[in-house]
Amino acid sequence: MNFKTQRVAYPYFVVALLLFALQLVMGLYLAFNYFYTVPQGVVDLFPFSTARAMHTNLLVLWLLLGFMGATYYAVPEETQSELAWPKVAYAQLILLTGTGVAALIGFLFGWTQGRPLLEIPTTLDFLVVIGALMFLANVGVTMMRARNFTATQGTLLAGLVFLAAMYLFGMPFYENLAIDWYYWWWVIHLWVEGAWELVTAALMAFMMIQLTGVERKVVEKWLYVELGLFLFTGLAGTGHHYYWIAAPKYWLWVGGIFSALEPLPIAFMLIDTWRSMRKSKRPQPRLTWVYVIGMAVLHFVGAGLFGFAHTLPQINYYTHGSQVTVSHGHLAFFGAYVLLNLSFFYFAIPRLKGFPDGRYDERGGHWGFWMLSSGVVGMSLAMAVAGVLQTYLERVQGQPYIVAQSPIRFWMAIVFLHGLLALAGALTVIKHLLTLKPAPVAEA
Amino acid sequence: MSERAAKLIFWIGTLSSLALFLGMTWDTHRSFAALTHADRLDANVIAGKRVFEKYNCNDCHTILGFGGYYAPDLTRAYKRLGEDAIRLRVASPETAFADSYRKMPQQHVKPEEIERLVDFLRWVGNIDNNDWPPQDSDTRWKAATRRLVGGAAMSPGAALVAQENCLSCHSLGEAGEHRGPRLEYISTRRDAQWIARYLVNPEAVTPGAQMPAFDKLSESQRQAIAEFISSLADRRTP
Repeated sequence: MNFKTQRVAYPYFVVALLLFALQLVMGLYLAFNYFYTVPQGVVDLFPFSTARAMHTNLLVLWLLLGFMGATYYAVPEETQSELAWPKVAYAQLILLTGTGVAALIGFLFGWTQGRPLLEIPTTLDFLVVIGALMFLANVGVTMMRARNFTATQGTLLAGLVFLAAMYLFGMPFYENLAIDWYYWWWVIHLWVEGAWELVTAALMAFMMIQLTGVERKVVEKWLYVELGLFLFTGLAGTGHHYYWIAAPKYWLWVGGIFSALEPLPIAFMLIDTWRSMRKSKRPQPRLTWVYVIGMAVLHFVGAGLFGFAHTLPQINYYTHGSQVTVSHGHLAFFGAYVLLNLSFFYFAIPRLKGFPDGRYDERGGHWGFWMLSSGVVGMSLAMAVAGVLQTYLERVQGQPYIVAQSPIRFWMAIVFLHGLLALAGALTVIKHLLTLKPAPVAEA
Repeated sequence: MSERAAKLIFWIGTLSSLALFLGMTWDTHRSFAALTHADRLDANVIAGKRVFEKYNCNDCHTILGFGGYYAPDLTRAYKRLGEDAIRLRVASPETAFADSYRKMPQQHVKPEEIERLVDFLRWVGNIDNNDWPPQDSDTRWKAATRRLVGGAAMSPGAALVAQENCLSCHSLGEAGEHRGPRLEYISTRRDAQWIARYLVNPEAVTPGAQMPAFDKLSESQRQAIAEFISSLADRRTP
């Protein structure tokens, strides 16, 4: 840590990690509902829908708080200046966490906008917008004052502005269901396959420059290529969500072709990360590379391969809206964004604590990574089996939904068991990160 | 690769895709009215969409394939189940799903809200979305029934279905109404024995069912109807 104000990042990381644990508990409850018949009395009080709203909103909230913390850590280093308003950063954290908690409690009492992933009621949406504006202003003003622009900074700021702007499309009430979903995807797809990828690419570039000592010019040159590919495939690739919403037929072509290319930039990122590690001039704790490479690999498998598997309209006609989507969603979010956040936390926390060379005691961290990752991978594979079964029984054979769900219950129990492993791994990671100790002095 | 080339890739990639995307967005807006039959999108349908959101239906059910995957897709629920079955499920899920291994919450939806929900699902059921989902595909139902007629399988049961005017509430192939469930859909869930028993007194099997009892028919007549309906399932898969 070279700048005092980078310290504001730490509470963001702490809150993010705690919400992460809560998100997994909710996820376990959802999986449990799939294989065990929860009695009517419990369903009336705490239905699957409420738990799902909490599970997904917790995910979005903690990932975004993680991104914001990471940004507050990176921006002073990138601009070579202190953050413009550190106190505003703390106030923003309190505002956003408070809004999030209010939304979660509201869900329990049926206060919801009632649209998947965007359940936060419009009143609270305005508080989210205020929080986002505080954040963008803080980051923007810091960059403007420092006048020390880099491509990494530009990408980060562009990604964050893009992210905030897309949120607005999720706020109004749409009378026509088709138009509603059309713009719902401007939030969801253009986030995860647009804005969030920009933020990820920028934070990765920042970490790579710091970790490996590879020349900035080289890293940033590949950053341009990577972003060009991401946005080329990702923007028009939104079309793969428009096949069955009553949009014109040309979306089948455009969505199919562009999204078939979507694995390319992710493969590129994987190769780029691997190459950076090989060229690294600075020794790092082994766990750092376990995370960074783990992220690059699972990002490619979850988002790239699992996404490609059902993106062509001929296949998607049968798999759309089945557990196949669930499988892809879990592995993609984990590989791309959960591991990015955790990688960044492992990079930033030792430096925030002032450990020499950012080295730390790795014991416990490896166990956490492998339990968490194998838990999520196993879970996604079980969901994939459930999805293929559902696709065949319900979509091809024409069995009624509830009949076709019956053999799936077994696989959801397998999901639950892997979920327990993932939770144990996550708790290990969280404990390790929050009680990080300096590396033991080498015994001579 | 030079830095100039890298920047060129970035700008060309981003701007070309953005231009295509925005252009198609503009054109899609011109098409939505026709494809979704916006002329039928009246105040009742809009009120129904608000009810749908108020009770967070979409976090268990999917609609157009989006949402929670915990309960059946609702895109064609109107055509699959019919109005009465929708009313029954929303008003008293605890009876409708008493025997099911998966429950639906009792949310005390008001009767007028249920009517708006039916209006909403009727409108959604008719939008033109490339015939998705496959399990509720109209084309597939119709083809199955055409095969039935083509096979000259006009059983006594079929004659009784016509005689008793079943299609004034139920649908079959291209014919019929959407008050009760589609006959082909019933056949995928129930066997002949169950259907025959239901015909005697629907209310006894499903409390709150609106269907009249067919106890005036003889037992063999009910059995013939039941066998005809349950035979429809075999024709479902091409």
